[in-house]
Amino acid sequence: MAVVQDVHGHGHDDHHPTGIMRWVCTTNHKDIGTMYLWFSFAMFLVGGFLAMGIRAELFMPGIQILEPELFNSFTTLHGLIMVFGAIMPAFVGLANWQVPMMIGAPDMAFARMNNWSFWILPVAATLLVSSFFVPGGAAAGGWTFYPPLSTQGGMGVDMMIFAVHLLGASSIMGAINIITTILNMRAPGMTLMKMPLFVWTWLITAYLLVLVMPVLAGTVTMLLTDRNFGTSFFNAAGGGDPVLFQHIFWFFGHPEVYIMILPAFGVVSEIIPTFSRKPLFGYSSMVYATASIAILSCVVWAHHMFTVGMPSVGQLFFMYATMLIAVPTGVKVFNWTATMWRGSMTFEVPMLFSIGFIFLFVIGGFSGVICAIVPIDIQVQETYYVIAHFHYVLVSGALFAIFGAVYYWLPKWCGRMYDEKLGKWHFWLSMFFFNLTFFVQHFLGLAGMPRRVPDYALQFADFNMVSSIGGFGFGLTQLFFLYIVIKCIRSGEKAADKPWEGGTTLEWTLPSPAPYHSFETPPTIK
Amino acid sequence: MQKSEKASLWQVVKAVFWSFVGIRKKSDLEKDAEMIQPSQVVIGGLIGGLFFVVSILLVVKWVTS
Repeated sequence: MAVVQDVHGHGHDDHHPTGIMRWVCTTNHKDIGTMYLWFSFAMFLVGGFLAMGIRAELFMPGIQILEPELFNSFTTLHGLIMVFGAIMPAFVGLANWQVPMMIGAPDMAFARMNNWSFWILPVAATLLVSSFFVPGGAAAGGWTFYPPLSTQGGMGVDMMIFAVHLLGASSIMGAINIITTILNMRAPGMTLMKMPLFVWTWLITAYLLVLVMPVLAGTVTMLLTDRNFGTSFFNAAGGGDPVLFQHIFWFFGHPEVYIMILPAFGVVSEIIPTFSRKPLFGYSSMVYATASIAILSCVVWAHHMFTVGMPSVGQLFFMYATMLIAVPTGVKVFNWTATMWRGSMTFEVPMLFSIGFIFLFVIGGFSGVICAIVPIDIQVQETYYVIAHFHYVLVSGALFAIFGAVYYWLPKWCGRMYDEKLGKWHFWLSMFFFNLTFFVQHFLGLAGMPRRVPDYALQFADFNMVSSIGGFGFGLTQLFFLYIVIKCIRSGEKAADKPWEGGTTLEWTLPSPAPYHSFETPPTIK
Repeated sequence: MQKSEKASLWQVVKAVFWSFVGIRKKSDLEKDAEMIQPSQVVIGGLIGGLFFVVSILLVVKWVTS
């Protein structure tokens, strides 16, 4: 893409407030993006700590470390923190940094709302984490907080409900901001079909967020009034229906899966062409596939509920619809592969994470299609097979894409290169330990080990020990990632403005590190 | 810039259909991008989604009958 950029008038680029108030009051998309990313990493460590607790308890059969109630709280909060505190804010952080730079806009459309949507996150996180220390402990009914479990429990559940409200409000504000920015603030000549795919996937994701987050807010509000104000939405004794909760929750929950994976598709669709030195194969079909995945994601929710009991017409409908989602997703995988085909490829760390993403996400996608088949799902429901499936989608899918994105854009963000050798170690260790942790869980699930239990029968002992060793290794590897990032920021080599030869998007036309205010005069795209 | 002519119903139907499969020929896409208004795609997509749901329901009815 040809770009004409006004290089004059950048004399005041780096004037910004200093000290703590810079971060508290900032309306700068780069500052806010940075805060989102550090917040999500902190939450990733908290959620990771809980995961380590879970794997430590499951290292051997019998109860060793965690009482069953606390174990349940660990699994519940691990899921909530990773989904709402780590993965989602990380992608919003990436959007904050990258979307304005990639479309040639000076900032996000609603800069003050941007500040607000970040700063309610730490409040929500505090509510979630501190709920461990209140009477009755943290919520323990699973991250899906199904009633009647969630209508029992102490004030920890109410704290979780308020936290979900806040996280949802933050996501909605973030989404509105992203939509408005993309639709109204593109540089002249940046038509919709010229936008980088990361921007496209975020535009579609943002619409999904606006569609389903209010549904979640409504659900948890009904739960709150059931718990505290005598309503019976989900209480059969009062004329309500606990299955209603599951329908509403999963009407949010399934698009939520795509909210966490579509921006990952966008990241991978930026990285693979760069390191293949070829334009993305089938750009338009990628856009179309993303849109159709978003629409289809809204009509498949009850595949999470096959064992609840539903008419065979319903089972077949959701089974067929779910399996059909594999078509546009498959189109994407073929497009990435075709982009690499005969490309002049190099394997820097972002590319490694992207290829790892494709390889492992396909495994997660296939196990998803397997779970979509009703008779199989009835067998594997609530077993470790499902745990293995969604960790392949969310860890080696979403999280690997986030790692790839961080390595890809870190030179632009901080003006320094990360250590390539250490980054490769990070990738290979993550790859090894991830598979060690989660591949064996397929076997555990097929053999019948139920999820959300602190103890298990003796025949599951060996695979659990292997999985726990993998889990500890994966956890430690992520501390290594922290070291790599800090080393890069403090003492990395100076990065070129365009450190990746194959980069074609607008952010590479800016200096490294990107100036505090960029594209105040919009570039013209021809 | 000269205002381009509006897309026909058939063109929107075709664009939406191919979006569900996730494939589009480049020349057709360029024509789409030029002629189809965003509102047409959104309405077409929603109707396409409805059509998708109804057609699966019909298949299910046929299978279970």
